Amino acid sequence: MDKRLPTRALPKMLLVVLLGVAFTTIYSWQVRADQPPQETEAYCLSCHSNPNLKMTLPSGEELPLYIDPAELARSIHSPLGIECEACHTEIKTYPHTKIEYASRRELSRSYYISCKKCHSAIYEKAQDSVHAQVAIENPSAPICTDCHGSHYVHKPDQPRTLISTTCATCHQQIYQQYETSVHGAALIGEGNPDVPVCTDCHGVHNIHDPRTVQFRVESPELCAKCHADAELMGKYGLSADVYDIYSLSWHGVDLQVYKSRWPTIWHDSAVCTDCHGVHNIRTTSDPQSSVNPVNLLATCQKCHPGVSSNWTDAWTGHYEISLEHTPWLFYVNAFYNSLVPLVLWLAGIYVLLQILRNTVDRARRSL
Amino acid sequence: MSEQEYQRARLHPAIHVERVFTRFTLSQRWEHALLMLSVVVLLLTGLPQKYRAEPWSQQLLSTPERVFLFQTVHRVAAVLLILVALYHLGKAIYQIARRRLSADIFISWQDFRDAGQMVAYLLFLRKQKPAFGKYNFEQKVTYWFTFIGVGIMILSGLVLWFPELVTRFLPGRIVPAAKLAHSAEALVLGIFIVIWHIYHVHLERANLSIFTGKINEKDMQTYHTLEYQRLIESPTSEQGGGQP
Repeated sequence: MDKRLPTRALPKMLLVVLLGVAFTTIYSWQVRADQPPQETEAYCLSCHSNPNLKMTLPSGEELPLYIDPAELARSIHSPLGIECEACHTEIKTYPHTKIEYASRRELSRSYYISCKKCHSAIYEKAQDSVHAQVAIENPSAPICTDCHGSHYVHKPDQPRTLISTTCATCHQQIYQQYETSVHGAALIGEGNPDVPVCTDCHGVHNIHDPRTVQFRVESPELCAKCHADAELMGKYGLSADVYDIYSLSWHGVDLQVYKSRWPTIWHDSAVCTDCHGVHNIRTTSDPQSSVNPVNLLATCQKCHPGVSSNWTDAWTGHYEISLEHTPWLFYVNAFYNSLVPLVLWLAGIYVLLQILRNTVDRARRSL
Repeated sequence: MSEQEYQRARLHPAIHVERVFTRFTLSQRWEHALLMLSVVVLLLTGLPQKYRAEPWSQQLLSTPERVFLFQTVHRVAAVLLILVALYHLGKAIYQIARRRLSADIFISWQDFRDAGQMVAYLLFLRKQKPAFGKYNFEQKVTYWFTFIGVGIMILSGLVLWFPELVTRFLPGRIVPAAKLAHSAEALVLGIFIVIWHIYHVHLERANLSIFTGKINEKDMQTYHTLEYQRLIESPTSEQGGGQP
């Protein structure tokens, strides 16, 4: 047998080799330039589409290595051409470099930093959040992928209910309260686009600790974002003046002073949530609402212990002064509104006339 | 001195005798001094609280401790005002019980006639001011406006001081009503005192009889003609009858 290569095949082989060299050169050049590598997905999936592919980590946890190609195709990144190696930057070839993570959590906590590559502004915002603060000590604190997913990333607000259920993964109890609140019920039941979901009040990536003085003094403005919007409130037959009237009240003025002068000092003057509740806010007519007439006294007594049932009438209920809602205030106001100008004008004119007459008399005497 | 001594003293050309009349008792002068002190302190510590949302107020009430200080001083002055008011009313009740309360300060139809004539005089429709008694109608207006005003301030102030106690007995809606009344009445009273009272006792003429207790004969003749005539004509007819 002739063991030499057939000379006729040489040009073909040369072509294959040249193509191979060209491909790897371009490919490695792309990686070095830190561009999201393209066209890697199909290559990776040739192994990772196997549902049985998995490995065991030193912690004893099983790490599934299966990627559902159909699900991946529906995710947000893949159709945009952002493929495996955009995040898995250290895996360039097969066999892969050895994974050195002890546990699945450790792997996630190291890997999510890849999000920063493209989403740097959001990543920085998230670093200011209460979650990032907690994460220093607590490995369970959420990182990007806990809310957004890792391989199968979808738009986080489609549908809008997804936002709250995402938070509910960890904040179960609060979600249960929210679910039955006037806001939550409208969101979940009717898909109402106007009611707030978690992120509308707490922020999205830079979620701050809501137990701070700062959050407390600013919280009424948070409610006012919607509740002072006349058009929005009009849709539901609600008054858009509640915030303005609150701001003039004993509680509201106190709050304004603390906010502008002593924003770091804790104060106990009531803010919206002290009376209406936080996640469990219900409509005033709901017998379970903390501000429903049946519960109002108990709500006042949280801060004013031992007050009698007359006390609740001291609250003017976010109403402007009117004969209908606040008759006593109405009469006192009407009395002073007429008396003050009357008295002051009369006194002023009388004194002016006296000054005039005295001056004229004095001038006459000196003539 | 008696009328006889007075006439005798005048006989000597080197002696100028000026008669001085007692206008206010020592007790009344103290009442006025303490009333004035408490009202000034109450206004100075109260107005910054009324205007807490204003920057000038926030400069004064610059810390929560300062707010507490102002509230405390306000309440101390309020106690003084309440004591003055109780003393004043107590004395009047005592005098009523002994049938010795003078009618001088009470408003009569004559005051309305006086007011009409005074306005006519001010409008150059009359040549002379009307003749007044011990208290002219301007002074009565000052007294009663302050009397009612202080009453409103004390009652509404107590509601605001002890709202939880007050609402055990009275409807809750008294609290916001008291807050509005306290705030509005303070302003009316303050401005009224500045316009009316300060003008009449300092600018029109320096009338310091509430401090000295005395009024000289010339002023008595000019400003309280009827009272002057009454005392001269029957100097012994009335002794010691106090005013409320």
